[in-house]
Amino acid sequence: MIEEPYRWVEAVANRREYVETQLAPGSPIAAVSCRDGILFVTMGRTRQKLFEIYDRIAMGAIGHPGDIERLRMAAIELASTEGFTRSAADVSLRRLAYYSLSPVLKTAFEQIYGAPYLARMLFAEVEATSEADLFLRVEYDGAIATNGGSIAPTKQYFGVISGTRQSTEMMESYLAKEHQPDVTLVRAMKTALDAWSVGRLAVGEEGAKEIPSRDDIAKHRKEQSESVPIEAALLERNSRPPIRYRTLSEEEIKTLSCD
Amino acid sequence: MTDISPGDGEPKFSGSTSDFPTLLRRKGLLSESPSVGPGLSSISSKSQWTPTEATTILAFKFAGGVLVAGDRRATAGNTVVYDRADKVLEIDRYSIMAIAGVPATAWEMARVLEHSFQYFRRTQLQEMSVDGKVRALSKLLRDNFGFVMQGVGVVVPIFATYELGPNPAPRLYFYDAMGAQFEVAEYAASGSGSPAVRGILYHENNWGGKSLQKLREKEAVTVALRALDTAAEADTATGGVDRSGKIFPLIKIISRDGIMTLPDREIAALFKRTVA
Repeated sequence: MIEEPYRWVEAVANRREYVETQLAPGSPIAAVSCRDGILFVTMGRTRQKLFEIYDRIAMGAIGHPGDIERLRMAAIELASTEGFTRSAADVSLRRLAYYSLSPVLKTAFEQIYGAPYLARMLFAEVEATSEADLFLRVEYDGAIATNGGSIAPTKQYFGVISGTRQSTEMMESYLAKEHQPDVTLVRAMKTALDAWSVGRLAVGEEGAKEIPSRDDIAKHRKEQSESVPIEAALLERNSRPPIRYRTLSEEEIKTLSCD
Repeated sequence: MTDISPGDGEPKFSGSTSDFPTLLRRKGLLSESPSVGPGLSSISSKSQWTPTEATTILAFKFAGGVLVAGDRRATAGNTVVYDRADKVLEIDRYSIMAIAGVPATAWEMARVLEHSFQYFRRTQLQEMSVDGKVRALSKLLRDNFGFVMQGVGVVVPIFATYELGPNPAPRLYFYDAMGAQFEVAEYAASGSGSPAVRGILYHENNWGGKSLQKLREKEAVTVALRALDTAAEADTATGGVDRSGKIFPLIKIISRDGIMTLPDREIAALFKRTVA
């Protein structure tokens, strides 16, 4: 056992560094509110990164596939049993993240003899208006960042995750400047893809240190879209069936993203 | 709180929890059916308690897909408990479970079934197959059999769905109380008024001029209304069409585009013209 508090702090710091290194190459994910709902966008050729959790809740994640899968299953189990015993309206993303996921992630991260979860997750819950949409970024250590509400100084109509802190911050400042909550789906798709490029360009040692120019973003997006497939999902705001999650088909993505 | 922390107990493989009823049992949210044995039926008949039952449902394939209809009456013995019972329940975008038997059990089954299909899709990242769905209901019925033997909780449902994929086609099943499923080519009926309904449907199918499969929507609805009206004629537990209260049977149609519920006024107009 590590008995001295100093050694424990050091061990946790090492572990944080290790997890950050593991997550660093992750492809960014951007989620933005628009008139039609909440649009999740990412690019990558390897595996699915966007998932349905419950009727109005979706998740995007980067990290180790095994850990993502376990967290995803836990989230679906919790939401489903809650929705079954009470009602779909009683399933709340806030409760799911703060009460259920966060404490478990924190414990796993700080128990330095067990394995931490190598995962960073972005959750969103669609509501009747974009004003009420909720975005949560849940970190491997259980830390949670929200898109506003009572804590943040200004409300944001988006949520992002990326491999590195710098990349995340740049995507956030880009979207804060460029994104409006009640735009059309086409507009939202373009902004989200641009945000993805901003995030991607900022990853790594030689990554961009400030937001690239419009031309650079457009150029990067064009290059990427030729070789890397786009993955997108929509949480519909006003659909008759209670299940709002929908994966966008290749054709839909093509129509929405072409200039 | 949940049990996702690593290292506590056995490792959890995602496949092992893909069954929603199993998950509910693990969490103590789904009660076990009592073991088969003498139950309420063995208690002296004077004190026998009569469960609420819902009766007479029918389904048949026609040119536009599958039509599923049910009257609205729920009874307990010879008492009418409710006259607006919903016995035709949507389970997902393409599936309907119609119930005859004890509503308390049937509605709970429908709820478990609905969540099972969603849960499967979300965890496995693909839609449950038609066979899988049919089996899931079969299993729920079998798990309920302890209650059936005790004389409470009998449910004999009809399950209708539309199979997409390379050979899109409507699929229709009925069940017995033990959970055996029977796929039917043409029609199915269940509940206390079903003998009359089966008679009508058999007659229509063979000598009605047009087989059920070839009927157009309006014709199909007419046949359904006439069948339910006939059932109500002889069976007090079947509501049929309540002419004074303007309560009409519930009729839903499953096609390639999903489920459509016929609005009351359309049924009313058709009823006036072709049945009354």
